[in-house]
This record gives sequence, C-alpha cells and structure tokens, in this order.
Amino acid sequence: MRTLNVALAAALLAASAGAGGGSALLRGGNVITVAGPTLQGADILVVDGIIRQVGENLQAPPGVPVIDCRGRWVMPGIIDAHSHIALEGGVNETGALLTPETDCADIIDPEDLDIFYALTGGVTSIHTMHGSANPIGGRGIVLKLRWGATAPEMVFAGAPRTVKWALGENPKQANSPDSTRYPKTRMGVEASIRAIFEEARSYQRAWRDHQRRAAAAAKAGKPAPLPPRRDLRLEVVSDILAGKLWVRCHAYQAAEMLSILKLCQEYGVKLAAFEHGLEAYKIADELAAAGVGNAAFADFWGYKWEAFFTLPHSVAMQVRRGVVAAVASDSAERMRRLNLDAAKTVRFGGLTPDEAIRTITINAATICGTDRWVGTIQVGKHADLAVFDRHPLDAYAVCQMTLVDGNVLFDRAAVLAERAAREARVREGAPPPTTQTPPPGGKS
Amino acid sequence: MKTRLALVAVVALGLSTAPAAGAPPILIRNGHLVPVVGEPIAGGDILVQDGRIAAIGVGLVAPPDARVIDATGLFVYPGFIDAFSTFGLEEISSIAATRDSRELGRDNPELHAAWAINPDTVHIAVSRLNGTTAALVAPAGGTFPGQAALIKMNGWTLPEMLLAEAAATLINFPTTPRPPGEAAIATEEKPKVDLAAKLVERIAGTLDDARAYRRLKDAARRDPALSPPPFNPKYEALQPVLDGERPVIITVEKAKDIELALSFAAQQKLRVILHGCAQGYRVASAIKAAGVPVIVDDLYTGPSEYEDGYDGAWTNVAAMAREGVTLCFSSGSALNGKDLPTFAARAVAFGMDRDEAIRALTINPARVLGVAHRLGSLEVGKDADLFLTSGDPLQITSVVQTMLIGGEVVDLDANWWNELYERWSARPRPAS
Repeated sequence: MRTLNVALAAALLAASAGAGGGSALLRGGNVITVAGPTLQGADILVVDGIIRQVGENLQAPPGVPVIDCRGRWVMPGIIDAHSHIALEGGVNETGALLTPETDCADIIDPEDLDIFYALTGGVTSIHTMHGSANPIGGRGIVLKLRWGATAPEMVFAGAPRTVKWALGENPKQANSPDSTRYPKTRMGVEASIRAIFEEARSYQRAWRDHQRRAAAAAKAGKPAPLPPRRDLRLEVVSDILAGKLWVRCHAYQAAEMLSILKLCQEYGVKLAAFEHGLEAYKIADELAAAGVGNAAFADFWGYKWEAFFTLPHSVAMQVRRGVVAAVASDSAERMRRLNLDAAKTVRFGGLTPDEAIRTITINAATICGTDRWVGTIQVGKHADLAVFDRHPLDAYAVCQMTLVDGNVLFDRAAVLAERAAREARVREGAPPPTTQTPPPGGKS
Repeated sequence: MKTRLALVAVVALGLSTAPAAGAPPILIRNGHLVPVVGEPIAGGDILVQDGRIAAIGVGLVAPPDARVIDATGLFVYPGFIDAFSTFGLEEISSIAATRDSRELGRDNPELHAAWAINPDTVHIAVSRLNGTTAALVAPAGGTFPGQAALIKMNGWTLPEMLLAEAAATLINFPTTPRPPGEAAIATEEKPKVDLAAKLVERIAGTLDDARAYRRLKDAARRDPALSPPPFNPKYEALQPVLDGERPVIITVEKAKDIELALSFAAQQKLRVILHGCAQGYRVASAIKAAGVPVIVDDLYTGPSEYEDGYDGAWTNVAAMAREGVTLCFSSGSALNGKDLPTFAARAVAFGMDRDEAIRALTINPARVLGVAHRLGSLEVGKDADLFLTSGDPLQITSVVQTMLIGGEVVDLDANWWNELYERWSARPRPAS
C-alpha cells in the first residue's frame, strides 16, 4: 500500500510538472527552504523540472547547466493566491446575478504580458479568477506561469478547481449608485446564495426522479420519459454542494464572513478561503477552527467603507492564531512586489522573516491546494524558484531569476544584456523599436 | 463680493506653523545622526529648544529642565517630506462624501486645497509611522486643478499645520497618445493635428488672458477714466504665478510632453516644477539643462510604455538622478502615504544612489517647495522635525521609534491601526 502511494505520488508529480521540465544546478545560494531552516551556500539540483537534491557540493550531471547563485537568495517561487491576470477580456459577468456556469479555464490568455511581469517579481504560479460582481461568480483556475506555453499547458495539473463567491459592497453594487440589480444589501447577497442552493437541490431531485422513472420504464419495456431540462448553472452549483469545487469567497467584514461560514457548514460546502478578508483578524479563532484560509492583503486598505476597519497587523494576527493566511495581490502591479508586502507582516504584527516568507509561498499553496507540489524547496517538489540579490524581505532586493519547472523564464541579466544591445543599435543609427510585441516567452 | 471675502479669509488663515515656544527643551542623546546636509555623526546629540534645533554635536550638556531621549542604537533623520499627496482631501476613495480633491470644470486656479483639508484624517497618523513629517497636499482634475498646500503632519487645526497655504499652482499637461504600432501605421492615417501642442497653446492662452487682465487693472489704476475689468478670481489667482512668486507644478508623463513643458516654462518665464515624468529618463539632460526639479509620482506602477522596460518606473528615477536632476519623492495619494520610503527604496534597488534618495525625501523637496530654511535637514536653527528609527528608514522592517514635529514629541501610537490592534488583540478566545 505504502509503495503504491509512493508510486502514485511520483506519477502525480511527473504528470503535474509535465513534459519539458528543465534541469539545472543552482550553485551556492542562501536557500530559503520554507520547509526548514535557511541553508547558507547550498546547492539545488533540478532534473526534469523536479528538485532532486538539496545540499552542499552537489554535482551537476552531464549536460545540466550550473547557475551561479553565490551571494544570492533562493526561495520557492512566489505564489499569488488571488489574481486576475492571464485572462482574455473581462472577468466580471454582471449581466446575471449568479454565474457559476462561466469558467476562467475557457479564457486563459497565455500571451498576457502580465505573466512576464509576474515572473519579474518571482511569481511562478497564480490562482486567477472571476471578479467580485456576483454572490456566486465563475470558476477560477490555478496556473503555472509557463510563459511561452499554450493555454492548456499553463494549467496547474492536479490543482483543485475553484469557484469565486463575493460578499458585501461589490455584489450589492454599493458603489454603483445607478444599479438597480438585486441585491442591494448583504441580506440579499446571502439570500441569493441560499436560494440557488435550494434550487440546485430540487434540480438534483428532479434528475434522480427522472433516472428512477427511466429505469422503471426500461424495465417495463415502455418508452423513456422526457428528461428534465438541463441547467448548466445548477449543475455547477450541484458540484459546489458536492464539495467538488473549492469556494474562494471575496469578503471584507467579519460579520458576513461568519454568516457565510455558517451557511457553508449548513450545506456541507468546501469553503477553502476568504479573499482579502480585511477583518479576518477579528475572527481568526473561528477561521482557524473551521480550517478556512485567507488570501489577504498586507496593507492595501481604506479604498471603500468595508476596507476601512483593518490594519497591516492583520495577517500576522491571523497567522498567530493558526489561520492559513497568504499575502496576495489582486493586482497586476502589486503581484510584482509580494516579497515587499510580506515584509510588512514583519514590521506590523511581528512575524519572523521565515513566517513572512510562508505567507507568499506555502500558505498560498495550501490555499490553492497545490502544497503537495510547490511552496517549499524540498526534494520531490516542482522546481519553481525565485532568485533574489538580497534577502527577499529587504526593500532593496531585486528578483534576478525565476524558474518554473526548472526552466529559466526570467533572467534579469539576459534582459539587461538585450536592453544594452538594443540601445547600442539605436546609438548606431537604427530606428528605435516601435512595435508593442512582448519579448518572446518560452522555455530556454 | 463673496469671493473677495473668501480670499481675505484665506490670507488670514495662512498664519504658518510656528514651532512650539516655551516647552521644556529636549536632548536627543547618542544617536547615529544623519543630518543630510553635512556628514553623519556617530554618537551625536541634538538639543531642541523652542521647537527648533538649538545645537548638534557630540557630548552636548542637557539643560537642567531638559527631557532626555536616549537614541542609543537608533538613527536620527530629518522628517521626510511627501512632495505630492492628497492628505485630508481623500479619506475613503470610493465614498464621494469623503473626497474633496477633484472639482468640476477645467480651469480652477483659484481653488485652495487648504480649504478642504481635514486635519483629523486617519492617513496622516498612519503615514507618520514611516517618518513623514510634512506633505504637499494637491487637488486634482482639469487643466488648472488649483493650489497645493504644504502642511506639517501634526496639529489640532489646519492653521497649526500649514507651512504654506498656497505652496504651488498646479497645471495638468496633456498626454500625447502612444504612437501607433506598425500594424496601425499601415492601416490608419496619422493624426494631422498635434493635439497635445494645441492643448498647451490653450494653457498659454489662459495665462495670456490673465496677463491682459492685469494690464487692464493696472491701466485703470493709473487712469481714473478707465474702468477696471470685472473681478475674475481665476486671473487673480494666476498673478503670483506670472510674477514668478509662486512655483507651478506641471504634471506630465511622456517624453515628448516633458519637452513641451520645458519649452512652455521657458517661454512663459515661470518657476516650474515637473511632476510625474514617467519617461523623464529619455529627456533627462534637457530637464537638467533647464534646471527644473522633478517630483516623482507613485512608484507602485508599471512602465509608462512597454519599451521603457519592465522596471521602467524605477530605472527612470535612477536615470534622472544620475543625470543630476533634482528629484523629490511623493506618494501621490493619501492612501499611499504610508509607502513613501518604499518608493525611494525601489528607486535605489534599480540604480539610484541611496544618499541621493534620502535627499529626495528631505532637503530636495524642502528647497523645491521653498521651505529649506525650516525643513529638510538636521541643522541648527531649523524646525525640530525629525525621527528616531531602528534602522535604515527605507527598509520596510525598520521601526520609527520617536518623532518630533515642531519640537513636540508626536504620539505615534495614536493612530487608527493601533486603535484596532489594541482593541482586537484583547479579544478573548471564543468559547468553542
């Protein structure tokens, strides 16, 4: 049985890293393993996208390139648990109130330049999702930032699929005074969720009844009865009720978080995490007890009423009380400096540097359901790595290199060399570039 | 008539912050002093008297009634100056009732930020936590958004906080659209009119009208037979700008528009400060040659255009600094006020000299905004606006331990975040 599990785990790892995993020996960096203490001057051997060895004086097998990381800091690739990048077109379906039938998997944009920008900040995987206009919105998806790959290749194999919910000002359209869409209150938001749960239960009953009648008819040699009308929306809600989708619930106020938690417990729904959860610090004990995580902001606040009753100590207060809290971006700009946002949890609330790093690595992976594969530097895990010139919490730190599955997809030295060459060409009289073509992505 | 009365009221309001007199002296003892102007002093002391810095040195003797603040192991810096913000004009950005930064209409040079600043805004107290002791507060919107006020980050009322009620007049320059890419060039006609240049002509026209208004007024004063023009608050408000008494802050982004702004400044003979300059690096030598300082905007932003590079927002600042352009950092908004030192750190991370970055938070904005006789460095005679910090103040993990503004010790714990922290840290574990 044990052997089988190990074999299964190996197969899963191989499947998830996928073909095209790179190999490299990262030599002599200060390795922030997250799984254990930081190793000074350690090597990391990556073969076919998987971390095979971590230690001193490792030998690179023939043909495996050596990356000099001496004097640098190597950490697990940063995981952004809350993102909206790499999606084609809008992420809010405001035409209807409840839209779980929509799916971000259908609109993955592998050429979104923001994927490259994420890599420049050391981000290697993201949970990208529907917007917050709907109490129950569309399905989200975890992506590996395999810049240069196709949309299907970007999908993080094995990661649980998610569905976005939203509470508070956005679904009630509080800041769109002209909106006349129901609901306009938090009461209506919760009522709309409860209503569709009951609708989905009826729908499932109707199908069960139909299947019973159809079986009876077949037995009796009678023609099959007409089936119920298929409803794609209620089918997804049924999946939510069956726990097949992890709920990621945008929320700000402690009161609405406790209410929705109660509702989820009543219906047996898997509430994986709150999104932002700016008042999660008030109810950290309740969240920890319920096993609900929080994809939080470090200190982005004050932009609306429900974002006012918070403080940058919030993430630390959650961590101290056992909540799996991640520092997430929700922004194509903020995602490039999540390491600096993590530093704020040291300044405010007093997390240790290692605890702060966890909020952008393993905690985010746990929230995304990918912690078996990423989030730490450990043998057997994917070689998703970020290399910084200083400790990542140092305000002067600059990401130098980012690897996904052992492939170097961002190399600052290469970017600078390319930039210098271009400037030299311009000095020699070549016309400056006028196209908006992004740099070629892809595996090196 | 109403307007005239209001103008008088503002002048009366403009009694600027006088440092505290009569309070007992303070001796800051044995800190690592970073005066900004002059060399750092290890184990240095600062004597604060009547709100000002009375002495700086090693082994100063405390007057008998002095309060002594031990700075052992701490760094002492002059307070940071946020050179462009909206403190007190914007509380919660999505709630219109808490926003006072953006008036209707295009040309509002007569508006004073000082009329609307809420001295009790939560953002002042939380931004002090990073060392900011003064800020320029600027309205937004239109071509002439109004006049920015320079405030200290402490005081019960606005008059107690004001350093300059009309520190600068603002002009928003147009932004030239991005040139079409190759595909668009093939299919689209190039615009025949340079829209940005046309809009700048209109701005120049407004200034010309204000000059004509002044000439009519002067003529009527000289010749009683002539009647003066009807009172025009907009043209009145522009006179100190035309006289060169008050600087103009021109907000501008693209390289081409910066060049427009520089020639506009030269033609109009204005005291110009540029703000923004996201593509300043492309024309840095021209900015330097014109002797025009630049207030850098919010650095939580991507590049202005793809070609500026993924790190363009930060390398831009470093490049302008290397060229010798006088730079000032700014938060751009009340919400980002807390991040001012981090913006500077980003510029340093991407190539700016660190000491220059510190100057861009202190003495540079003090000079550019005309208050270098009071702020911007630790020098005898200047206002005692300073802070003691556990480490490099550009590091996020450094903690400002003590802050003085006008020689008064600021209660750093009196802020909204700390209030919530104290209240909710005390919540007992719920019964399960």
